[in-house]
Amino acid sequence: MMDAITRFMLSTGIDNFVATQDWVWPVCEILHFFGMALLIGSVGLVDLRMLGIAKGVPIKALERFIPLGVIGFFINATTGFIFVAGNPVGGPQEYLTNLAFQIKMVLILIAGLNLLAFYVTGIARQADAITPEGIAPMSAKVVAALSLLLWFGVIFFGRFIMYNDTLLYALGL
Amino acid sequence: MIDAIENSAYAVWVRESPSIWAYTWILSLHAMGLAIIVGINVIVALRLLGYVPEIPVAKLRKLFPWMYLGFTVNAASGLSLLAANLTNDLHNWMFFVKLSMILCAMVNLELTKMKVFDHPAVVNGTGVPPGTTKFAVLSITFWTIAIIAGRLTEYPSFVQAWFGF
Repeated sequence: MMDAITRFMLSTGIDNFVATQDWVWPVCEILHFFGMALLIGSVGLVDLRMLGIAKGVPIKALERFIPLGVIGFFINATTGFIFVAGNPVGGPQEYLTNLAFQIKMVLILIAGLNLLAFYVTGIARQADAITPEGIAPMSAKVVAALSLLLWFGVIFFGRFIMYNDTLLYALGL
Repeated sequence: MIDAIENSAYAVWVRESPSIWAYTWILSLHAMGLAIIVGINVIVALRLLGYVPEIPVAKLRKLFPWMYLGFTVNAASGLSLLAANLTNDLHNWMFFVKLSMILCAMVNLELTKMKVFDHPAVVNGTGVPPGTTKFAVLSITFWTIAIIAGRLTEYPSFVQAWFGF
């Protein structure tokens, strides 16, 4: 599967684009940080409110900022794809076989499922129904705590991609 | 002086220790702090610009401690990274652009607190004072440039090629 992904990524020609245009990588890095701030700012604030911080702010109103987080996510999925497909040192394989990168991708997947669960299981509706000063149900608090943990985990392991050796060293691998 | 800091036991540990709690963890903290302070600032700024009016502006004051938390994490992690990399950073003009933008952003944040959040209209929930837009736009502008300059601090050769110095 890794070979198929690598072949697909190389077929896009992004590697050539990154190699010949020196601005692509730094600009994508800048965008990747903007996307991160938008995602954490919007989703993270809903999480904090569900955990009982900033009472008086209605959860349902705060959720209207989530589309901003979704935009941030897509900015990061796109720039992230460019990093992997266009990696000038070692190509896509270098990322795909990188433990920190693999953990980051798994955490993003779980964070996505967590968000999906929040909406499809009716927890979102229960959280929306409380008064602006109200306390969110325990189920919403669990989703919120998981969300914060997962997204900060994504940042943590994201930074480790370039320092995968220290991660392997810490794990005794 | 610069050598003394850069070769201090702490700076050497940050830079050279193979432990995940040295350089990499501090770098992670710096990204997390950024996400917290910039993320919250952007949402507060958007509310001040009139988005999602159902949110009472006064209640957003409770987010200030979280912004200070993000700032403190980044001041501490930033000083650690600076100590480890002092000579290079001091010769990187983009780094000073970043620092000035953070200074402007923090002064702007304090002014927003005094001029907007302490204003009777906000406290009584009857609206926002004139000039609120200015603080919100400046907040987004300063943080945007701070992130751009911060990232470009890592690419001095690219900066040199594009800006000529």
